[in-house]
Formats: sequence, C-alpha cells, structure tokens
Amino acid sequence: MKHLKPINRKAEQIERSAEEGKVDEAQVMQVVAGCTSVFDPGWEVDPFGGVAALCQPVEADLYGCADTCWWPAQVPDTINSYPDWNTAAPSAERDWRKLQTVFPKK
Amino acid sequence: MKFMSWRIAAAAALMAAATICRCAPSQAGEALGAKVLEETCSRCHAALPSGGFERISEERKTPEGWELTISRMERFDHVTVSAAQEAAVVKWLADRQGLAPAEAAPFRYALERRPVVESPDDTDLAGMCASCHTYARIGLERRDKAEWLKLANMHLGQWPNIEYVATSRDREWWKLASTEIPAKLGAKWPLETKAWSEWKTHRHANLAGSWRVAGHRAGKGDYAGDLVIRPNGDDHYSITYKITYSDGTKSFGKGSAIVYTGYEWRGTVRLGKEKIHEVYALSADGNRLSGRWFRDGQDGIGADVVAVRGVDAIAGVEPRFIRSGQPSKLTIIGSGLKGTVQLGAGIVVDKVLSATPGAVTILATAAKDTPPGERAVAVGKAQSASALVVYDRVKAVEVEPGIAVARMGGNGGPIAPALCQFEAVAYTKTADGAPLRIGAMPAKWEVANFDETAAKDRDASFGGHIDRNGLFTPGLAGPNPKRGGYDNAANLSVKATMAEGGAAVEGAAHLYVAPQRWNDAPIR
Repeated sequence: MKHLKPINRKAEQIERSAEEGKVDEAQVMQVVAGCTSVFDPGWEVDPFGGVAALCQPVEADLYGCADTCWWPAQVPDTINSYPDWNTAAPSAERDWRKLQTVFPKK
Repeated sequence: MKFMSWRIAAAAALMAAATICRCAPSQAGEALGAKVLEETCSRCHAALPSGGFERISEERKTPEGWELTISRMERFDHVTVSAAQEAAVVKWLADRQGLAPAEAAPFRYALERRPVVESPDDTDLAGMCASCHTYARIGLERRDKAEWLKLANMHLGQWPNIEYVATSRDREWWKLASTEIPAKLGAKWPLETKAWSEWKTHRHANLAGSWRVAGHRAGKGDYAGDLVIRPNGDDHYSITYKITYSDGTKSFGKGSAIVYTGYEWRGTVRLGKEKIHEVYALSADGNRLSGRWFRDGQDGIGADVVAVRGVDAIAGVEPRFIRSGQPSKLTIIGSGLKGTVQLGAGIVVDKVLSATPGAVTILATAAKDTPPGERAVAVGKAQSASALVVYDRVKAVEVEPGIAVARMGGNGGPIAPALCQFEAVAYTKTADGAPLRIGAMPAKWEVANFDETAAKDRDASFGGHIDRNGLFTPGLAGPNPKRGGYDNAANLSVKATMAEGGAAVEGAAHLYVAPQRWNDAPIR
C-alpha cells in the first residue's frame, strides 16, 4: 500500500483491514441461505462483515454486476440469461423502479 | 352436539387413515405431463431406447427443482409451455424422479424458506457451488458424475465470468469444476440410491379427512385448530382451516394443495387476510404433516406446523414450557386423544379442565425442585418426546434468527421490502450447566448500530425499524437523497430484553439491510 493512497471511504476501509490482517477473517463459508459469498465487494455483506464497503448506492454499478453476471442468483445476468432485463431502464440510478423480478408470479 | 362433532370427525379420520391406497392419478394430469415430455421436451431431448429422455431421465429433483428446470428451458431455450402444462410435467417428473424423504430432509430449510445460516458439510463443494446460490440447491438434486459434469459445462457457458469472481480466480477453477467436483458430487449424491429405490415403490396415502393442527407463528404465538382435507384426484386436495391463536384470535383458511412424490405437500391458502404457501412433509405412515408455511412474497414471516390424524396422535403442547413452582394451564393438541395425561418426572396434573379427542386442557404444577429439562408428554397411548420444557428461571435470551438479512424495497419499485420477523427465545440451564431452550417469549425490541462504522454512517437511522412484536421493516429502496444519494443499506444489531426476577436479560441478533433481489428462484 506504499504507493497507493485511498481516496474514498471504501478504499480506506480496505487499507485498514489489510493492515489489521482482517481480510482472511471475512472468507467464511457460512452465509445466510440465499445470500452470496462472493465478497468482491459483496451483494448483501462486504468482505469485512459489514455494509460500508458495498457499492453505494447499489444502483451506481448495478449494470456492472448484471452484464458480468457477478451475482447471477441475486441480480439477473444480461450477458446470456436475461439480455432484455434492463432495456427499459437505461440508467439504473434514475430508472431502477422499472426493473422487474425475473421470477414473476404465475 | 359439540362432542358429537368430534366423534364424527375422529371416525372420519380413522376411515381416512385406513384407506391408504395407491391413488390413481387423474387421466388428464398424467396424460398432459406425458404429452409435454413427448411433444415438447423431446424436441431437444432424444428418447432413449431404454425409455425416458436424454438428460431428463438422468436426474432426480424436488418439485421446485423441476420447476427451475422448466423455467431454465423457457429462458435459455425459448420453450413455451402453459401454466397447466408446466404444472402437469412438474408433477409427472417429481413423482417419478423425485427425492426420497431422507434425501430431502437435510435441506428442507431451503424449500421451507427458513431464514437460516447454511452449514455445508463439504468445503470443496460449498466453495464451488454455494458461492452464488444455496448449498441446498445442489443437495436437493441427484445425478451421476457425467451428468454433474454437464451441469458444470452449463454453468461455464451460461455465466462465463464464473471463473473470475472471488474464490474462483485464485485457483484452477475449470480443472476442479470439470474433474474433482463432478466426481465428488456423483459419489455423494448419485442418481440411484437405496433410499430412492425403496421410496419410489411407497404407496401414496389418501390424505382426505379431518386433521388436528398445532402451529407456532413467530411474532404472534402458538395456535391450534382443525384442517379438513377433501380429495380432488391425482394427489390434489381442497383444504379448509379453523384455527385459534393463544391470544384468542381466530382465523379461517381455504385453499388447495398438491402432494408430490408421495410426501411433498405444497399448499396455497388464504388464511385470514393473508395468502400463505405451505411446504410440509408427510410421514411414511401418512398420518402426520410437518413443516413451515410462509407469507406470499414475505417468506421471513411464517409458522412451524404439525398436523396429525387418526388416534393417539399428539401435534403439540401449548404453551411448550412450564415454570417450576407455578400452577400453569397447558393444552395438548392432537387427534383421537383418550386416557390419562402424563407430563414426566416432577410435574403433577392438578386438574383436567377439559378433554376432547382433539384437545386436553389441564392445570399442572412442576415441583419447585424439579430439574430443568425436556419432558415427554403422554395422553393414554399417545406420546410425544421432548414436547414440554420445565424451567426455573430465564437465564439467557437468544434472538432468532441470530443472523438475518432484510432487503430494501418499495419506494415506487415493483419489489416489496423483505421483512424480518425476530423472536426472543428464552434459555435456562440444565443441572449440568448445558443451555436449555425454553421457547419464545415477549420482549422489548430495539435496533442499534452494529459497530463504530455503522454508527458513523447512521445505519440505525436509515436501515429501518422494528415493531413491538419483533417485526423489522427495512428502509426504502433506491438512492436516498437524505443520505447523500447512498441507499439504506445497514449493519444493525437487533436487541431483545426480557424482565426476569426484577432484572433485565438481553439477547441480540446481527441484521443486515441489503439491496433487493431481482432474481428469486424457487430454490435460492
């Protein structure tokens, strides 16, 4: 971290956790049923067991999750499974109310 | 007249219990399920010389597992089936290629949508398969090694970045996913098992008749009542409920249910003003249903349920605990109850207040020096182990669920907030100092910031609120202008306080307020 300087709160937290040796502690296999354990940076919980290092707001990078199928069991992947999921909502931050669940009730 | 109705109900239950039969599936449902396979599925899945179809015949799953498969075919392969066709083919497949009760048992929590922390029994499989979805999702399927490998192939093709997320990119992911993992899965959860070969010849029970129900709804309390089941053919039933909560509230319910694989009960009921989904398992003798129901669209809210029929059957005791040294009223709920009540060592029945075949209400006292512990309850020949807990005082409180996730929602969007129902569970200690769970009791609720970071971000101010019954409602979805455009994600502590002997006993749970899920599959 000598040549990198954190410029926001999330980066500060990553730096602090690395210095305190807490990164390994967050790599647990036990999660609440239905949540992801992919913690980079996490959908429900961040790598440090909190929420401060999650994307904020989630809509800011939502399509960065969707088109890379980063959390495909929580966020529909637009690369293959649901290519039209966000067609009606070009800006997630502005249009998130138009995003529908992909398991509608029958 | 009241007693007459019980006698009639008991007689009907006896008749129903005696008519265990191989239920003839309705021609229409069977025919439609077979037709979908032959005319729709076979377009891609070639018929096998030995019968069945490629891939389809090489897997076994729960009804929800087959529902997921059909849904995937619709999405990935543009198959079009009507709701009736889907229902018929899911029933057809689940009946013939389902899981035995013992195979599904370890993972019922996922079907019942219980808010639990998973504890996978294999780190390699969990690391490979349960990073995105539950471990239960694979634990509820059976395939041989070659078929598990095809599933790995499908995952890589469908979600190509699967190799690059955390816990994948730091190892030779594909090498593991295509060699060791399918071999392990095929050995652990193979297509053919002794449990399945025994269960698939099990005769389906006819569930029609009168049942007695005992339930516990988190946040509201115990309830007891009647369930009447009427047959509609092909393992389909119409059902009605009349229940009374321990606080005196009455509720009536009407709905329908399907029994898959001879034991997997799935009901949809309008109970009072709520629509609920029932996920129960039927016992091998066909006389006991047990499981959980959850509210439509709010599976954090639900109840544990046991229903019984026939004679000498206990569904539950209300309340399920008795404090030593204090006369207490207890009701034993069951079917065909007759005879002397016994509550185990140190507990005396002072008086029988009322007795019908469906419920026996007594006044009982546990002696002051009775050691705390679980007790079996008996009414004549009916017995239920660990049905009652004797305790002296509340020594600790645990909040259940201990770790929970609520999800933001609403605010004009189509996804409702996902609520969390908490319960304060009292504990005492046995004579040898082991923790002893007493049961849920009223408490005072409070939500606080979990740690320093949460306090700095004022998570408790934005994350949501909890009511006096322990029901947490998370904050609204979307960027919050009052939070500088951040959303209402929060890291919280949920605290419950009970009064005991003039002192306060506290417990806490860890609650995350997370974003909504736009993908909510039948098995998460």
